Amino acid sequence: MSSPATEIAPARQPLITWDKKTKKVVSDPFMDNNPITVQVLGICSALAVTIQLNRSLVMAAAVIAVLCASNVVISMIRNLIPPSIRIIVQLSVIASLVIVVDQFLQAFLFDISKQLSVFVGLIITNCIIMGRAEAFAMANPPWQSFLDGLGNGLGYGVILVGVAFFRELFGSGTLFGFQVVPAVAYELGYANMGLMVLAPGAFIILGLMIWAQRTYTGYVEED
Amino acid sequence: MAFSNGYVFGFATAICVVCSVAVASVSIGLKDRQDDNRRRDVQKNILGALGLPEDGRDLQGEEIDKLWQDRVELRFVDGTGTAVEGADYDKNGDGDLTQADADLARAAVKGTDKAPAFSSVYVRKDGPQVGAYALPMYGNGLWGPISGYLALDPSGNKVTGTTFFAPKETPGLGAEITEPKFKSQWVGKKITDGGKSRPIRVVKGEASVLCPGETDYCVDGVSGATITSRGVDIMVEEALAFYDPYLMRIRGR
Repeated sequence: MSSPATEIAPARQPLITWDKKTKKVVSDPFMDNNPITVQVLGICSALAVTIQLNRSLVMAAAVIAVLCASNVVISMIRNLIPPSIRIIVQLSVIASLVIVVDQFLQAFLFDISKQLSVFVGLIITNCIIMGRAEAFAMANPPWQSFLDGLGNGLGYGVILVGVAFFRELFGSGTLFGFQVVPAVAYELGYANMGLMVLAPGAFIILGLMIWAQRTYTGYVEED
Repeated sequence: MAFSNGYVFGFATAICVVCSVAVASVSIGLKDRQDDNRRRDVQKNILGALGLPEDGRDLQGEEIDKLWQDRVELRFVDGTGTAVEGADYDKNGDGDLTQADADLARAAVKGTDKAPAFSSVYVRKDGPQVGAYALPMYGNGLWGPISGYLALDPSGNKVTGTTFFAPKETPGLGAEITEPKFKSQWVGKKITDGGKSRPIRVVKGEASVLCPGETDYCVDGVSGATITSRGVDIMVEEALAFYDPYLMRIRGR
């Protein structure tokens, strides 16, 4: 969140562009600058909603929706926001969007919204969202900000779903609620891993993912 | 760019107005749908406690409404077990039962010593026969109100199912009382001992160890959620005490 706002596109240019630079805005957060594995943001929800794939997919979709919308809205009014109150303005926009998303989930995906319970509301405190608003949307036009939101949201979602995949598979023997570990395996003495259902299981999976990903990209933390 | 104080205040006000209008209109626009979802969620849980649908399918939307209308009858009884003609209790006339129960819940949570004047009983109809009774229960958990339904067999002696709601309890601890693992323990427990009423206890630890020879009257509490488990224990006891005269009539039949 502390990284300085960087302008990637000059002020005057077509509203919607799709060149190398803009493509990188989307693809970067996937691998080289993933919000969870590289920036280590949004960990809390990555632990909380990854017991089942269903939940984590809906959570990822909710975060992507909020992130794209908040980036676009904040980018559109970025030149009007007085710097002295910019953080609280960002927070108001984000909080309103989160409430709207929560209301939609309660109306259309009631069962999952019940399972996600407080964690939808806690999207407000997800550092990724305020981080992108402050570091990107405040300095870039709406289209780029939208793509940045999409990229970061997808980067977050991929990790979330990845963690949920392992946790549901090893913790419950199911994927999307369907039994995948055959009954024969249980008869032969296979047991579900209780650790995977608990938060520490997510920590371990996440740690292994960060290790694998950083080994692959060669990313090193600066002192 | 410098902004005057007047501009800053104006901008802040404008943001607040725009955000609140947006949030309020979405909330009002979706309210009916959300209310339907909430009502159906409660109905689905009561149906589940009553053992409906028989094939255990996961019902959605209007299927729930239909099954509810076909198979569930709502009765009201007072503290002496006498049936109360409660048709006028359905204020909106649309059978919104959660509203009917909400008033009773409020009385329970406020901790008034006064028992409610009357309370509801959900009856599962198997044709002309009674298939099961479900009694609403209200109590307090650690962080807020908890509630549930206790389903009894037609003879009024045995538990056939339960459902619990714990909206404020800690996920993974107190909220575990809403999970099948806790709920399924109740099936087959008895509430009578040699013709007399006897409440089911929620014990801390393993029921088989702590209640030797009396496992029919004990269920395991949730470890790490002592106060919520205790809340369930009190809730069940209070509900059974209120319905006892009514249950005695059923048993006498």
